[in-house]
Amino acid sequence: MFFHIVLERNMQLHPRYFGRNLRDNLVSKLMKDVEGTCSGRHGFVVAVTGIENIGKGLIRDGTGFVTFPVKYQCVVFRPFKGEILEAVVTMVNKMGFFAEAGPVQIFVSNHLIPDDMEFQSGDMPNYTTSDGSVKIQKDSEVRLKIIGTRVDATEIFCIGTIKDDFLGVINDPATV
Amino acid sequence: MADDDYEDIDMGYEDEPPEPEIEEGAEEDLENKNDELTGEPIDTEDKEEEQPVERPRKTSKYMTKYERARILGTRALQISMNAPVMVELEGETDPLEIAMKELRERKIPFTIRRYLPDGSYEDWGVDELIVEDSWKRQVGGD
Repeated sequence: MFFHIVLERNMQLHPRYFGRNLRDNLVSKLMKDVEGTCSGRHGFVVAVTGIENIGKGLIRDGTGFVTFPVKYQCVVFRPFKGEILEAVVTMVNKMGFFAEAGPVQIFVSNHLIPDDMEFQSGDMPNYTTSDGSVKIQKDSEVRLKIIGTRVDATEIFCIGTIKDDFLGVINDPATV
Repeated sequence: MADDDYEDIDMGYEDEPPEPEIEEGAEEDLENKNDELTGEPIDTEDKEEEQPVERPRKTSKYMTKYERARILGTRALQISMNAPVMVELEGETDPLEIAMKELRERKIPFTIRRYLPDGSYEDWGVDELIVEDSWKRQVGGD
């Protein structure tokens, strides 16, 4: 799920960025530092959308750097248990397959793939129904449900299932 | 009183929350003004900032030699790290010399936070303080 929230961060700014463009430099450094990172608490920071407030700077002794408390609005993405996501398959093996929904990696074990789908090894490993009408291989798009998340301080990893109504392949590049 | 400041010196560490352990709030002048305009009492630091607004400040209007040393040192360090210089240069190249020139022209964009024994503090802009050099010659204005 996506959220638009306000976060705060203490930014260290090098003296060479002082001057009339200090604010702009601070904001671009914030974007560089923060976008694409992941915190277990808030999820993946997708984009910084605005700056709420930049507090008073504070000189750090010995380094000459200045620390600014910056409040910024950002879009974060955090997967939840039970959430339905669409994801692109990145790797298929006999244990199941990995899919990516944006920055988050999701593993779907073969126990959580419908029983009528069989693993086919070979050049392009895939899961196929007995009649061959549905095929999951690399680059397939699947709709899946998240049944478990592992949240570390800097990483989020999910377990998904496609063994449920309305889940499974939604668009297969091989057939298009 | 400046000695209070000095106890904090070894505390400078990266991503710590801005607690009152900090001694100098430093900023470009523009920055300062903007902040005062937009200053909403959201975080604790802002709330504390209201306290000095009560005024009347009671510490000396003279810059102590310790403050002077510290400001010159910090500013010279920043200049040596390519910070934009706030004064016209006439061939000076030594960062400390440039810092002294900035201090003489009261262009150093710092604020000194003087902590008092009871934990409260007063903020003084470097441009407000009267600077005397070590030989008691008055350098800054009154």
